[in-house]
Amino acid sequence: MMNTIRIFAPLAWRNLWRNPRRTLITLIVVSVGLWSVLAFNSFLNAWTQASKDTTLQLLLGQGQIHAAGYMDDPGVETLMPPPSDGLLKALGDKRISAWASRLVVPSVVQSEYKTLPVMIVGVDPKAERRVSSIPGKVVEGRYLNGPGDDGVVIGKHLAERLKTGLGRRVILMSQGADGLLAEQSFDVVGLYDVDQQTEDYYVFTGRAAGQKFLRLKDEIAEIVFTIPNDQDLAPVIRALKDAAPDMDVRSWKQLSPFLAATNSFMSGFIYIWLSVVFTLMAIGIVNTQLMAVFERTHEFGLLQALGMKPRLVLIMVTMESTLLIGLGVLIGMAMAAASIWATGDGIDLSGFARGLELVQGGQVLYPKFDAGSFVLFSLVIWILGIVVALWPARRASRCSPVEAMRMAT
Amino acid sequence: MTDAIVSCRGVSKIFGSGELAVHALREVDLDILSGDFATLAGPSGSGKTTLLNMIGALDTPSSGHVVIDGQDLGSLSKAQLSDLRLNKVGFVFQAYNLIPVLSARENIEFVLELHGLERDERRQRATDILREVGLEGMEDRRPAQLSGGQQQRVAVARALVSRPRIVLADEPTANLDSKTTEELVRLMYRLNREMGTTFVIGTHDPRVMEHSKRHIELLDGRIASDERTG
Repeated sequence: MMNTIRIFAPLAWRNLWRNPRRTLITLIVVSVGLWSVLAFNSFLNAWTQASKDTTLQLLLGQGQIHAAGYMDDPGVETLMPPPSDGLLKALGDKRISAWASRLVVPSVVQSEYKTLPVMIVGVDPKAERRVSSIPGKVVEGRYLNGPGDDGVVIGKHLAERLKTGLGRRVILMSQGADGLLAEQSFDVVGLYDVDQQTEDYYVFTGRAAGQKFLRLKDEIAEIVFTIPNDQDLAPVIRALKDAAPDMDVRSWKQLSPFLAATNSFMSGFIYIWLSVVFTLMAIGIVNTQLMAVFERTHEFGLLQALGMKPRLVLIMVTMESTLLIGLGVLIGMAMAAASIWATGDGIDLSGFARGLELVQGGQVLYPKFDAGSFVLFSLVIWILGIVVALWPARRASRCSPVEAMRMAT
Repeated sequence: MTDAIVSCRGVSKIFGSGELAVHALREVDLDILSGDFATLAGPSGSGKTTLLNMIGALDTPSSGHVVIDGQDLGSLSKAQLSDLRLNKVGFVFQAYNLIPVLSARENIEFVLELHGLERDERRQRATDILREVGLEGMEDRRPAQLSGGQQQRVAVARALVSRPRIVLADEPTANLDSKTTEELVRLMYRLNREMGTTFVIGTHDPRVMEHSKRHIELLDGRIASDERTG
């Protein structure tokens, strides 16, 4: 086989350049097709990662722990004590980069003009800064100073709806631990700016201030934790469940099935794109190769007349396709690598910020060079290209030498 | 005949079927002997090319038997027919039919590559045969850089280089001027005498027939005459 390749490879290479225009067309089809797959894959991965990071860094974290029943009926009746003993030790796992406990209960916020339903989130600002991006999104005023801070930080959009603002007071109402109505006025000390849905729904205050407002001791509603490495998620969740068997430990995929489904769809979408591109490429390759074979029918018959076996004709034509598609694949890879390198500093989509909010997309995408997918998609395109090119090659090998003689005389 | 390279017995070839059937050859009996320098002549449609195709193992008969160097074509697969052509038959075509992307030497080496010869031997034999046909110094030219006569010389060299038992030439001078025709015919005749290569040339060119040692005339798919002149 190696001997056959050694003999026919130079001939196959020269044959490719007998019709440079056709060869260039095929090269463009393959290289642009592969470039679109690789660049699009990189862009999609960056998009998925940015969307996921944006959402998880907001409030969700990589996972949360609640008391059993809280997720079905969040309120003062379904709170839990702060972590201790085994759970505290499990949260100290080095795979968990940070964790924070929150008090989260449904409430109503009232201004002079409007009353709206919200969730009060009582936080420890120092811990919260390590698990959430919201402390860094305060655009007016300040974030909370400590667990005992009894000011509130509300969303910019909520402030507009309530027709309130920085330095004004709002009234929060909820059910206290004793079952009676808890009602208290809070100073608006800061406004944060993220997506509209979050801004409308979450009002932040100090955790101890919140507990005092609801007449609680030290109960909390949730523990949120962050895990930098995706592969650690499942084992860490298992370890936490073992450490707190009576509690409800969930990963972000369970907490936000929509985000998980979007993530999974985005990963699968590249294969849809790959199949579309490949179908178009296959049509292009088969057409140009069939044309080439048709034009050279006489020559293939002649080669067989000279004693070349049909199998060798098949190998020679397949080798031409292998070289041609292989060259196209290399060019496509180089183009994709150049595109990714050129956008390595990030693609700023902040101009579409409003639209991105709706789909929870990140505003800056960072396409990355992924060697694994580069090799995988390139090989897939190359091998499938060779497979479809076998059809024209087979036609070439079936040329009749008699027909060639007839055409020659 | 014990020294027959090709033996045709009752060979008929019919193209098409029913009312559209064309009888290209009818019950042809023919032996080509080792060392023959034979011309195959006849008007258009007489069956010259069809008979050459049979003798060259390019086609098989509708009925009858063609035996080349002891091998009956009817019993061979496509791959075996390719092997037989590679090892026993050389072809020279009217339109030269060189591989355009290869140089004169590479066109010849290509056949030797199919034989599995090593590079040095291929190169030596290709250079020798090109010198033999008078193309020394033109080894690296591609077909487009050679005249019609030079291309046909390369084709003859290609046909001879693997030392076949028989060389079949179908109208080899049809595209050549008289001077080149004369040179080519003399070349083939000399190779026949010096190397003992058997030639069967399909032609109606009188300049070729002049040198013929055996003249076979075909008419309506039958052998009308078969005369030895030398």
